[in-house]
Amino acid sequence: MRRKAKYVIVAYIFIISDSPGVLNGQNLYTLLCAGRSSKHVSVKKQRRNGEKMIFKCRNCGGNVVYSPEKKSMYCPHCEGIESQQKMEGTSEETCANCGAPLHAGTFSSSARCEHCGNYIVFDKKVQGEYEPNLILPFKIGKEGAKEILKREFKKRAFTPASFLSEATLDKMEGAYVPFWLYDYIAQYHYAGEGTKVRSWRSGDKEYTETSYYRVIRELNIDFDKIPVDASIAMDDGIMDLMEPYEYKDLEGFQDKYISGFLSEFFNEDAEKLEPRAKRKAQSDAEALLQESLSGYSTLRAQHKQLNMDRLGFFYALLPVWVYTYSYRDQKFPFYVNGQTGKVIGKTPMSMQKLAGYSATVFAITFLIVNFLFMICKL
Amino acid sequence: MKEYLRYFRFWFLALGIAALVWLVVFVGNRALDETTERTNTECTTTERVFDFGEALTEEEENRLREQIAEREEQTGADIVIVTLNESLEEYARSYDPYADYSEFTMIYADNFYDENKFGYNKPIGDGILLLDNLYREDDGKVYTWLCTTGKVEDRYSVGMIDSILDLFYEYVDSDPYRAYSEFIDRFYRDMTGNDSLEIPWYMAPFAAFIVTIIFAAVNLTSAKGRKTTNTRSYVNGGKPDIRRKEDIFLRKSVTSRTIETSSSSGGGHSGGGGGHHTSSGGHSHGGGGHSR
Repeated sequence: MRRKAKYVIVAYIFIISDSPGVLNGQNLYTLLCAGRSSKHVSVKKQRRNGEKMIFKCRNCGGNVVYSPEKKSMYCPHCEGIESQQKMEGTSEETCANCGAPLHAGTFSSSARCEHCGNYIVFDKKVQGEYEPNLILPFKIGKEGAKEILKREFKKRAFTPASFLSEATLDKMEGAYVPFWLYDYIAQYHYAGEGTKVRSWRSGDKEYTETSYYRVIRELNIDFDKIPVDASIAMDDGIMDLMEPYEYKDLEGFQDKYISGFLSEFFNEDAEKLEPRAKRKAQSDAEALLQESLSGYSTLRAQHKQLNMDRLGFFYALLPVWVYTYSYRDQKFPFYVNGQTGKVIGKTPMSMQKLAGYSATVFAITFLIVNFLFMICKL
Repeated sequence: MKEYLRYFRFWFLALGIAALVWLVVFVGNRALDETTERTNTECTTTERVFDFGEALTEEEENRLREQIAEREEQTGADIVIVTLNESLEEYARSYDPYADYSEFTMIYADNFYDENKFGYNKPIGDGILLLDNLYREDDGKVYTWLCTTGKVEDRYSVGMIDSILDLFYEYVDSDPYRAYSEFIDRFYRDMTGNDSLEIPWYMAPFAAFIVTIIFAAVNLTSAKGRKTTNTRSYVNGGKPDIRRKEDIFLRKSVTSRTIETSSSSGGGHSGGGGGHHTSSGGHSHGGGGHSR
């Protein structure tokens, strides 16, 4: 009931926000409805003038970064906790710390200086229209991600033994990937004719009874934050496999979370990427409808209508660890979900191992089956 | 190597368990197989293969005697084989003037069993006798009779008798020795309760092949990562709100068709006591006959 009321307000805001100069509907909606995860997006801080800034340690002047293990800002130099203070940079193209030229990507909202290793946050790319509604701070740190990868490699049977010893860590980055999260309310109306078939034998006759039913379904499906990655650099397939993120950890955006990580702002806007989210929602709705129709031998649809209304969308940053290994002149990128630890990525394949292990499986199964047959025969 | 052993530890464990179970069942079976000593002291002969009809060579007879000796111990029943090549019409009619052609061999077999006092546990006790008379009687047929007594009679249903005689007839003309030998082995399996599972030789490699394919496929496809979202991942509350769900019965139709039955082979292996009758000597026998 409460939610319904909220949507009414939101609808109203969407209408009035059509006129110029009125509050932005998306952000207001965020303010009202982000409360689904009972967390409210922070009210915008006042704008600063600088293009970029760096979190410096009050005690030692080192670069303060967000530590997932400590769940707080941390200075790796003096081990100070929450000792950060913001220092504005002067020029757009140079490092706010050492002044060396920065080579950041077109869509970067934070970067690491190649010379001094400090993490620079591009203020303008996380403010105003670029300010994310939500952020899911890293839960797994650098070492944690490494451990997860090591365990994963061991599990993969056909990875050559030399990969574990020879492969060198080429690149390792914690990155916040921009995502659009869409909310939909879907209504699925279905009417059709279904049959159930029953057959039995009596004497030398086989009877088949076909019962006909009128089948009506009306489903309301409340889709909550269907994610679509808004980074061109990140492969869509890989990002889809990274899912699911657990939304209970979503928070209102704070720039301190991206210090120590790379991040991008959305490369494409929410309207452009919406078709992907819609497709996901439609296929899920279809599957849920089919689930509710189980039990019939045949079904013939007479009326089928899916209405989907977008309730709103969020701009969120979600955490991913990217580890790239070099092995015999080839690169093997691995992605670790920065929250759940799910691993996506290909390890090289050893054909010898594949053959050897398969042969062992064949031999063992063959023997076991023979033993079972012998037991049956006894 | 260490990694290999670690990876396959559960596989090897499963193999070990299978081998162990087999060993236990095997040893247990051996222990059960040890039936009691033969306790019939009145039987007049130690001979089991009476080849009056000269169907077998001397060497074949000896081999069958050895096989019978082993199987008798395992089954706890006497196993007797008789071949004849003479008309039994006169002989049978002297016991039963109205005896049918098919009953000649039955009368002879029952009497032969009774007169020799066969039986593992006691005279005219547990045992089986297979009589094949190669003589073509006046009706133009060759008759065979299977005589069951004691616990063998209890065990053998009509269906089982038919089945074992069918097996015997499969080879009796082309290779009599094999026919008798198969008969003895089938009798052993029937008696020890192992309704033999005929598993084709290619089943084991085939099963192993399938498992290997699955193993390789699973490991190849998992190389990248699996999808771990489902249709409910982004549905608030984990399930849709079903506002309306109606299944209204409209009508039904019934059709029927006649099932073409192949000859009813029913019966099965349970029951026992097939072909029960009493011999001229007043002893209970079971059995059944075939002709060719």
